[in-house]
Amino acid sequence: MSIEDKTRLPILGLMADGNTPEGLYESLREAFESEVGAASAAGLESLRNRWLGRRSGLLAAANENWLKAAPRELKPVVGRLQNALRRHSDAALKAAVKAAAAPARRTSEVDPTLPGPARPFGAVHPVRRALEDVLRIFRPLGYNVVEGPEIETFFYNFEALNFPPDHPAVDEMDTLFLKDGMLLRTHTSPCQVRVMESSQPPLRCVVHGKVYRNDTPDATHSPMFHQLEMFAVDETITFADLKGTLEHFVRNFFGPGTRARFRPSYFPFTEPSAEVDITCPFCSGSGCRICKHTGFIEVLGCGMIDPEVLRHSGLDPERYRGFAAGFGLDRFAMLKYGIDDILLMYQGDTRFLAQFR
Amino acid sequence: MHILLSWLEDFVEIKESPNELADALTMAGMAVDAVERDLGETIFEFDITSNRPDALNHLGMAREVAAIYRRSLRLPAADLHEQAIPASSRASVAIEDPHACARYVGRVFEDVRVEPSPDRIRRRLELCGVRSINNLADLTNYVLLEIGQPTHAFDLDKLAGQRIIVRRARSGETLRTLDGIPRELSPAHLAICDAERPVALAGVMGGAETEITDTTRNVLLEAAWFSPSVIRKASRHFKLHTEASHRFERGADWQAAPQAADRIGAMLHQSGRGSLLAGRIDCYPRRQPLDTVQLLREQVRQHLGIALEDSEIESILTALGFAPTPTSVGWQVPCLSSRLDVTRGIDLVEEVARIHGFSRIPSTLPAVGAAPAATANEREEERMRAGVRALGYDETIGFSFISSEDARRFGGAGAVELRNPLSRLWDVMRNSAVPTMLQSLQWNLRRNRAELRLAEFGRIYRRSAETYREPRILALGASGSARPATWSDRAPRFSFHDLKADVTALLSPYSCGPLRFDASGIPDYYDLGQSASVRGGERTLARFGRISRTIAGERKLRQPVWIAEIWLDEVYACGLAEPAHRPLPRVPAVSRDFSLLVPESVQYQRITEAAGTIQDVERTEAVEIYRGKNVPRGRYSLLFRVWWQRLDESLTDESVNSHAEKLLSRLASRLGIKLRA
Repeated sequence: MSIEDKTRLPILGLMADGNTPEGLYESLREAFESEVGAASAAGLESLRNRWLGRRSGLLAAANENWLKAAPRELKPVVGRLQNALRRHSDAALKAAVKAAAAPARRTSEVDPTLPGPARPFGAVHPVRRALEDVLRIFRPLGYNVVEGPEIETFFYNFEALNFPPDHPAVDEMDTLFLKDGMLLRTHTSPCQVRVMESSQPPLRCVVHGKVYRNDTPDATHSPMFHQLEMFAVDETITFADLKGTLEHFVRNFFGPGTRARFRPSYFPFTEPSAEVDITCPFCSGSGCRICKHTGFIEVLGCGMIDPEVLRHSGLDPERYRGFAAGFGLDRFAMLKYGIDDILLMYQGDTRFLAQFR
Repeated sequence: MHILLSWLEDFVEIKESPNELADALTMAGMAVDAVERDLGETIFEFDITSNRPDALNHLGMAREVAAIYRRSLRLPAADLHEQAIPASSRASVAIEDPHACARYVGRVFEDVRVEPSPDRIRRRLELCGVRSINNLADLTNYVLLEIGQPTHAFDLDKLAGQRIIVRRARSGETLRTLDGIPRELSPAHLAICDAERPVALAGVMGGAETEITDTTRNVLLEAAWFSPSVIRKASRHFKLHTEASHRFERGADWQAAPQAADRIGAMLHQSGRGSLLAGRIDCYPRRQPLDTVQLLREQVRQHLGIALEDSEIESILTALGFAPTPTSVGWQVPCLSSRLDVTRGIDLVEEVARIHGFSRIPSTLPAVGAAPAATANEREEERMRAGVRALGYDETIGFSFISSEDARRFGGAGAVELRNPLSRLWDVMRNSAVPTMLQSLQWNLRRNRAELRLAEFGRIYRRSAETYREPRILALGASGSARPATWSDRAPRFSFHDLKADVTALLSPYSCGPLRFDASGIPDYYDLGQSASVRGGERTLARFGRISRTIAGERKLRQPVWIAEIWLDEVYACGLAEPAHRPLPRVPAVSRDFSLLVPESVQYQRITEAAGTIQDVERTEAVEIYRGKNVPRGRYSLLFRVWWQRLDESLTDESVNSHAEKLLSRLASRLGIKLRA
């Protein structure tokens, strides 16, 4: 039914069809609003006649057929609605007429689509980005951040970490040695021992920095890369704490849906030892090329700090226990940002770096 | 390593699908890399950690399966049918180095018929990646894959004196190994010898002269225990990695030696291809004691964070082959020669945990420990990084290795040399960040990236006296224009003063005192006319400038490049300046411009210093510098602006005039500066 037809019908009939007074006036108001919105400057005058004309306007018709025809008990309600609508439409029309009369807005003198002189921020290297993301997760858990020397002794890099004298990792093929028998640390774990030697538990630490291996560079190997290691030593630390901490970590780093799977493994400096697989961040565990269709990606190694390592560091293993976990920051960055060649990290190519501004 | 499903089933019942079994083993620490099917057989490919040589065979893996599912394990049979003649009447064994060879078990077979192995054996070997040779060699390999003990069969008739002597090789002795290659031995190597010469490289490979051939009639079988480090050395020296050396260097089971010899004897008899003489020749000069370990109930709970039932712990240990005896606080557990990795209570905790299942251990978060201490220089570093980023420098990370030639050129003496460098171009640790930065700049220029701002936060490495130092450094690299060209403005070239502005901005948050810039102490890889060092107080904080034309030419840099080296340890040691508020002046400052003729020898800083001695000077500006027409030779024209300010009163014209006169007279008397007419 058109709005004109509606205003010609008596209110009681309309209400018998299920309309309320409020609904009727609301539909009137909506029709008015949409006509005002669509009207051109020239159309506003005829719009006024159509709606507010003293004799034949739509509001006059409503006054006649709805207000005047209303039974007495409805009159106060309908009267209020009728008045409100009249006041509103008067004001709205006035405003529309005024706006139509205003001079046209100045058009732009500049082309806002032209670029301004570029002043980009510098890139934050993906490894650094990954590091900062990791630190943001561990700092609120009370972890200290420690670096340590990259040039290490055989003792800290191997012996203190309980490497058996004939462990393959000790072989020259893996370790870069200096001429005097010092070496480039092959992992960040020596720093564990250094921290434990110099401070008393409770300890919560993150160690990070460059590590070195005698590996020929290719897409997945670099003779220099970045490792991050976190460890906690206290009287009550358990393997359950290790699990909880790492699950919290991978969910926060890789996304809330990430699940961690702990597999028994072997490292000389932890016992029990585990490798942690996470549900593949690329396919969420359903299987893809990157996770070799297993749904899982191995991301870190961890375990309870071996009592021998505590002993080497001057802590009483009867009293203290600890956990430790370590991983490659480069690899984490590669997984997070989808980088497929570790050597991109070290070329300084600005086409690569600019993606991390 | 390959493990066959059907072979496992010889020793343990398996109800699970191959994939289920692979998952269960993986989650118990026996990582299955792949499950394959070939010739109707299911093959598991394992990646076994180096602490578990006991699992490098089918029986060992079956024991893991039995432990995971708590099923019973059937051991391989060894039904011996020995002749009356004792083996010791046909051959003898002596060990001269009991440290390197703690046990040597020999068995003698007579009237053997050497021929191809039966299909079943050949098939299993081949599926495990071992080439079938003849029935005797195959039996030794079969038992190796079955129970893990390496053995070797000698043609007894070719052993001089029918004797085995286990001793260090003598200098000059040689041995042609089974692969046909002659090997020069030395006392570093342990040799199996007959009465005259080496006949095998112990624990690695047998010799060609005494190998089993079609005509072999009598056989001496060796099953021995060799020291892991001796075998590892030989295997590495000869670059000879064999199934035997792989197991010996990880630690074999000395109690498996007689079992393996018996098993081979039984299988040979069963095949009807030879007869077994009575008894083992068991030369066992060094018995290695086995400890008993105490496992505390409390220890399991403290490490795992979960209390397990006694019955669960006992059942796991028993299934793994241990024999725990309960005590009031836990268990006494005798160590096993087959599990040399288990020597402490904590090792047993691991065994219990991995068989119980890591996934069944709950996840908790530890309480926060002590309040964390601030990381050294953390704030200082954050500030520097924010500055570098805001100035638009892209962060790079370069390799820590450079060539010794670059080290001499850019870092001087004291480079840290590598004993086993990756290459000649990477033979020292960098003692300067400049070569790495130059490389990154060059990399980009070659790829037509001409607008460059690079920054690296890193370390350099120095040896001084007996110690190593790893000072932190920030290297900046810049090339191209100061600002990019736009559709309305041309791009000015990047200049010395652009870099100076960046360096100054980066240093400004620190309490380094007033910065002094001069050209002293600049190494010659910089263009000496366009470089400076930066000092604050006694500290040298940085140096920067344009890279010399010589270096640029050698490296084929097609446009000027600029580098800054900032010694972060020095800068951070100054600390961040804490802001201190000064009240704002109530009245505006007044300025006067002076058009000066300055002798070329006078640097700008001396002018500002002179201005600084005048009362009420708030700041100064170099508005314009001009050389050329209407300026006398030997001088430059400087439009110098001085701002005067008092905190709460306006300066009168008279006082400014008097200040200005004083300034001009000082500039004239001290620096020979004239006012331009």
